[in-house]
Amino acid sequence: MIELSISFLLTAIVVFLVILFLFAIYLLFQHQREIRFSNTRDTFLQNHSQHWYNYLMNDEIFSVVLVPRGRAQVAAIEKIFSSYLKNIMDEKVEHKIKEFSNLYLKKFYEKDLSSKRWSIRMNALYRIADFQIDELLDTCQQFEKDKISEGEYFQLLKIYSTFQPELFIEKIKESSVNYSESEYRRLFVLLEDDVFIRLFEEFDSWNKNIQLASIDTAAVKRNMQYIDKLKQLLTHEVSEIKIRALKGLYEIGVIDEIDPYVPFVKSDMWEVRLMVAKIFKHVPLNYTYAYLELLLEDENWWVRSQAAKTMAENREGIAKLQQFMESSNDQYAIEMAQETVVRRQGIK
Amino acid sequence: MSKLIVAEGFMQEHEVKGYFEILRESVIRSRSTMTAVFFKLANSSQGTDIERIQVNHQISAFLKSKIRKTDLLFQLADGVHWGIFFLQSSEVEVKAFLKRIFAILKQEREYQQIALKASITEIRNNSVNFETLLEKNKQKLADGEQPTWSIEQVTDYSVQPMEQVKVSIIEQNEIFRKVLETTINHLDIPHFNLEVATYEDGYSFLQSDSYKTGHMHLVVMNDILPRKNGLEILHILREMPNEKKFIIYMMSERNSEGATLNAYEGGVDEFIVKPFNLRLLEAKIRRTFARFWL
Repeated sequence: MIELSISFLLTAIVVFLVILFLFAIYLLFQHQREIRFSNTRDTFLQNHSQHWYNYLMNDEIFSVVLVPRGRAQVAAIEKIFSSYLKNIMDEKVEHKIKEFSNLYLKKFYEKDLSSKRWSIRMNALYRIADFQIDELLDTCQQFEKDKISEGEYFQLLKIYSTFQPELFIEKIKESSVNYSESEYRRLFVLLEDDVFIRLFEEFDSWNKNIQLASIDTAAVKRNMQYIDKLKQLLTHEVSEIKIRALKGLYEIGVIDEIDPYVPFVKSDMWEVRLMVAKIFKHVPLNYTYAYLELLLEDENWWVRSQAAKTMAENREGIAKLQQFMESSNDQYAIEMAQETVVRRQGIK
Repeated sequence: MSKLIVAEGFMQEHEVKGYFEILRESVIRSRSTMTAVFFKLANSSQGTDIERIQVNHQISAFLKSKIRKTDLLFQLADGVHWGIFFLQSSEVEVKAFLKRIFAILKQEREYQQIALKASITEIRNNSVNFETLLEKNKQKLADGEQPTWSIEQVTDYSVQPMEQVKVSIIEQNEIFRKVLETTINHLDIPHFNLEVATYEDGYSFLQSDSYKTGHMHLVVMNDILPRKNGLEILHILREMPNEKKFIIYMMSERNSEGATLNAYEGGVDEFIVKPFNLRLLEAKIRRTFARFWL
């Protein structure tokens, strides 16, 4: 049996109590600090939101009260800037935020980048991109040389894409990290049109995820200048690229000729046939009726359904569908046409 | 003393008074301007009785042939004045009408013995009564100083009354909510007085009961809101019996055709994708209110 003297036990209890007491004091102190921090932040917001409105929106002259003193006030300004940038689109406001951040917030974020805590570094990277603090570009490049996480590198790429697109393309080329399609999309959507065109032109030199992301981005940007490139991709050997290009062309919604799309009506892949049926929405029915009739008799339910929908959206579509129902021998196609006509008439 | 000449088949002064009172109130309710025109023969004392009867009938028939089905033509009891109430027409349209008929009268040989002068009153409020209206216009046309074919104007009733409009801003972000509040508070819209209230979620808006009053109500809200979201509020407001009083602007971060279509089909008047330019919002609000008065 272990024997412990009373005096030893008492000493141990006292030591533990002292540790506990010190810990409680520490927690109390931290809590007080947090309260002080949020109070200062909220007071700044309360007192100066209107000043910020006047400065950003009403062209009032800059006042020194807007300059942050301490972290809590920086947090308040972050909140103000984020709210403006998220909700309001105004070049003048963006410019003022950029100017102010480069002057007064730069030093805070520069310090944050050398923090040991990942969350503080990430926050700084987000703010540098959001507030366009381009004077920190060199610091960011230095920061890249440290051992940084994938998330931080991704954020750095976002910063490069806005401040120095050349560098961005270079980094993408040499990058050892392979991002997912959606991550690439998030990067590309920020690019200026001319940079994106360059990236899109070098299509074949990219990996698959970049290729697919660039097609999707072209579709989201809805710019007519991407139509030719997308059309070229229709002959690409990879079928996924073909389908995405068709989807992109559908999203842009400008179909100047139907010849490039006609061969796809008899494609082996139902996804391709489905996309063609969608694309024909943007073409007058008298050019596409014959093909839509074929697609209406397709073996795949999705294709038949889309072909019927495309026809029904046209002014004479319902009449054409009714005419089709009388002349066709394909029971599945007739049912689809019937269903679409009923649904359309129900809406009216 | 010359004989009173009153054309048959015409509305007379005493009959029109009742109509006028209804029309005047509907000016306010339907926010549409009405314009009254009074004509007087510029040479009423010339010629024999028979000639004057002829001229009188000719004018009555001529005016009757030129008005629209929504205009109300009548003759005053003195026999030398005619009046027309042009519904949903402003002074500009009525002046154009007068210029057109005066040109015809001056040109056509069959009307050569007719010479008229007119007086216009644009009515945009209900502070005018029929007798005063007649009195003021008769005074304008009374003395012989105005030249023939002249167009006089009574401008006492052309200012529309100030209308109270409730504005509810429902936005979760406190800073942006204040920005919207300040922006809309600074908006100066002629003849409308905007009373702005803000809410941070859908539920507190519905609890406020402010939307149950009869005032015109502009609701500027986000599509996604805590507690009750924007689409639910849209549905509740559009289900109300007097839903037409709501002008609903929906703000959204979703820039997709689907979301836009959904919102418009649900009954929004404007769908604005965030981030947007505040000047654009101001312009949209101004246009919305400019459409209310003809």
